[in-house]
Amino acid sequence: MPPSTDLLQGTLDLLILKTLALESMHGWGIAQRIQQVSRDALQIGQGSLYPALHRLEYRGWIQSDWGASENNRRAKFYSLTPAGTQQLQTELETWDRLSSAIGLIVRQTPEAAS
Amino acid sequence: MIPQLRRLLTQLRFLFSPNSRHDLDEELQFHIDQSTQQKIAQGLPPEEARRQTLIEFGGVERARDESHQQRPGWWIETLAQDIRYALRGFRRNPVFTVTAIATLALGIGATTAVFSVVDPILFRALPYGHPDGLVSIGLTQSLEKQEFTLGGFYYYWKDNQTPFESLTEEGGTDECDLTEHNPVRLNCARVEGNFLPTLGISPLLGRNFLPEEDRPHGPKVALISYGLWLTQYNRDPGVLNKLIEIDGRSVRVIGVLPKDFEMPRLQAADVVVPRAVDISAQRTVNDGLGIPMWVFARLKPGITIEQAYQAMQPLYQDILKILPVEDRAVFRKDFHFKVRSLRDRQVDDIRLIAWILFGSVLAVLLIACANVASLLLTRATARQRELAVRSALGASRARLIRQTLTEAVLLSLAGAAAGCGLAAILLKIFVAIAPAGIPFLGKAALDPRILLFTVLLALFSGMLFGLVPALKRPSPGALAARTTPSGNHAALRRALVVGQVSVSMILLSGAGLLLRSFQNLQSQNLGMQTHGILTVQTSLTLQRYASSQKKMEFYRQVEGAIRRIPGITSVGISDSLPPAGWHGGRRYADLLVDGRSATPLNTGGTVTCRSVTPGYFRALGIPLVKGQNFTEEQRDLPNEHFMILSRLLADRLFPQQNPLNQRIRIGLDDFWYTIVGVASEVRNADLQGDNEPEFYTLRRYSDSNWNHTILTVETTLPPDTVVPWIRSQISHLDPTVPVDIEPMHERISKLADRPRFESALLGFFAFTGLLMAIIGLYGVTAFMVAQRTQEVGVRMALGASRSSILRLILWDGVRLIALGTTLGLGASLALSRLLRTMLFSIGPHDPVTFTAVTVLLALVALIATLLPASSATKVDPVVALRYE
Repeated sequence: MPPSTDLLQGTLDLLILKTLALESMHGWGIAQRIQQVSRDALQIGQGSLYPALHRLEYRGWIQSDWGASENNRRAKFYSLTPAGTQQLQTELETWDRLSSAIGLIVRQTPEAAS
Repeated sequence: MIPQLRRLLTQLRFLFSPNSRHDLDEELQFHIDQSTQQKIAQGLPPEEARRQTLIEFGGVERARDESHQQRPGWWIETLAQDIRYALRGFRRNPVFTVTAIATLALGIGATTAVFSVVDPILFRALPYGHPDGLVSIGLTQSLEKQEFTLGGFYYYWKDNQTPFESLTEEGGTDECDLTEHNPVRLNCARVEGNFLPTLGISPLLGRNFLPEEDRPHGPKVALISYGLWLTQYNRDPGVLNKLIEIDGRSVRVIGVLPKDFEMPRLQAADVVVPRAVDISAQRTVNDGLGIPMWVFARLKPGITIEQAYQAMQPLYQDILKILPVEDRAVFRKDFHFKVRSLRDRQVDDIRLIAWILFGSVLAVLLIACANVASLLLTRATARQRELAVRSALGASRARLIRQTLTEAVLLSLAGAAAGCGLAAILLKIFVAIAPAGIPFLGKAALDPRILLFTVLLALFSGMLFGLVPALKRPSPGALAARTTPSGNHAALRRALVVGQVSVSMILLSGAGLLLRSFQNLQSQNLGMQTHGILTVQTSLTLQRYASSQKKMEFYRQVEGAIRRIPGITSVGISDSLPPAGWHGGRRYADLLVDGRSATPLNTGGTVTCRSVTPGYFRALGIPLVKGQNFTEEQRDLPNEHFMILSRLLADRLFPQQNPLNQRIRIGLDDFWYTIVGVASEVRNADLQGDNEPEFYTLRRYSDSNWNHTILTVETTLPPDTVVPWIRSQISHLDPTVPVDIEPMHERISKLADRPRFESALLGFFAFTGLLMAIIGLYGVTAFMVAQRTQEVGVRMALGASRSSILRLILWDGVRLIALGTTLGLGASLALSRLLRTMLFSIGPHDPVTFTAVTVLLALVALIATLLPASSATKVDPVVALRYE
């Protein structure tokens, strides 16, 4: 669980939205998917996952429906709303801007600095 | 726009959707099961898989709470919780709650009520178009501080001025009679033709005066007030062009004035008529000075009052050159040209008291806020442990702060609600006890803006001082039961107490000065008898009593009739009554003593004169110090004139001489008065002023002017018995005459209404302030004592005597009191100079008042500390030590 606290503020929202952009998923699935895709670099603890999911839902970016899971259990599936798709786009742009800006600074060579 | 709307709708949906706790539990359980199954699949035994999952998962409860807190309506739930918690706290601590709410209510109520009274006086909008451009112009003189003008000046100014768009004048109001089928006495105002347009008033109905109507012998027309239109004509529009009869003459109604119409000098006016001044005569009448008038003007846009004054000054100097030489010097010396805003003129004498009220009520509010702050601080200190416990149990700091704020707001709101009620009651009381003649008081109503202001102020102070303790992170030490968290806000609380004591010192000394001044006013020797005296006045309509002869006949009969009533010992007649109100006056220089040369004109000021019958001195019990009273026989002598001087005038006219049988001529009269006596002094220049010299002439049956006639009746019976008899006697003579009977002492008591009102109000504030300051002092001392119980126990166990404990605690309070009193004394000595003009025969630094107030404050404050201090000495050392 420790890596989740290292996530940049607001990044979790982006990760969730991006994950849900592919297909609707339950909370466990979202955590697993993020872990897999990041090759175990990012582990999302439930302590941050569920408050984030609920926050996004109350903002109207994702919606939830009860459905059956792979092993036929009742589970809450989250999916992106149109507003959520829009939000994802905005957050992706922000992320790109931010990461390239950070990249510029971090990868700066000593020669270029002087 | 659309996304926001959608978001709002989503939030609303969740706000009203049923509680989703169950859903959340199921969701979390699903997560745990999935995780466990994955671990089993990886080869862990089921028990171990479950254990590891739960460890990985962390606090389920926390996740649940945090998810729940994301709900849009969550803060409402917390608020409800906070409120419930606060209310429970208030119930547990009723003394604190009641004191805080009562303090706030007093502060808010008093402030709102006084603001509501003061606001229309100081800040109301005048009922004229663009009132900020209106000014009052004229001359002031040592005897007349309110500017007036004379026709000889006005028309010159009007023709040559530059700073004003227009100038207009009014000639005051007179009593007049609407002599129709049922006669009514009215007030008729006489104004220049351009009066309404200059002030920016347009008639509700009809039109303004035409130029030809404002000329001598022009058509007789009038505008009537809304009130008259309502009461007399039932708001009938047909009143336009109707001929009404005023003082027996036909006048055409050309318009109705707006409902909020008022004369710029605030006189009552039911009918407004054109003054129709004969302009060409203004250089000849009244020694070439012209008739008196009151001038108002509208400034041109962009011109300031100061600029207007500078522009008018040369015109004033010009007109002085036209005056007769002997008048010029006087005018230069005694008269001053003045331009000021109309508002300043209207509130002239009420302004000071309005500001003083304003200041004192702010002081009370300040004390109230300090009290609430001090209460909250005390409470917060006492609750430090509770806060520490809540914090340890997981309450976030934001939550604790919100809880504290909720309490402060609840208290303030309760205080505000009680304050509103109190304000309404206080305002009623103020209006009821206020003397007549305080302008606009009738219009005073609770102003919601003011209420809002005071409530916000109370909220602010509550929040501020509620926050101070909440902002501090509760120390773990506070958890450890009895360890005293005392010293924390002690300095702040002490400062508040010092502030309260000094502010109440200021209020008390102000109230003390006014009270002493009022006492002086009430107990002063007026030089005449006031009890058992009735004053009787009638208003004779001009129609029935056209000639002076007719009036005289009427009063002669009335005098005879009243004299025959049993229980009446004497009846006097005069044209005016001391000590205040209208009375005749002459210039001192007009009195020419036989055998002396005339005194230089315009030196010596004015002399009061009254035309009286011999009964006047008897009825009012004014003793004659030399010579004799007039006699009844003298009233019938047509060719001889008699005079009685006041002692002041006698000493001035005849120093070291015998005034008796000297002869005096007044002005250009062609006869001489013989002095028959000297009367002792009677207060004749209001209750506050210095006596004016005065002379009495005999009111005779032949030549006197009977327009002003007041009967003074001395009786040995109670007024309630005599009044109906007098009324029936007069109505026997003429049933249509209205009779106004008033006991002399009530008449005089009315003169002191204003100082009574002032001292009562300030006294009320001082009392409220003192009360609250004492509550504050008591609270702080009591709290300190409670905090030091253990220390006291140790001291006593080590052998300290009860008296030394008492000294220890008292010393603390005494220091605060001494500091507060000293600061307050300094401030009030500096501020009391403001009161100077309101004080009667007492200085603004009156040592007696200041000593008394200081002693009173110190004593009461000492008692407030003594009570809790003495309870400290009753501490049982064993109990105190076991506390730990």
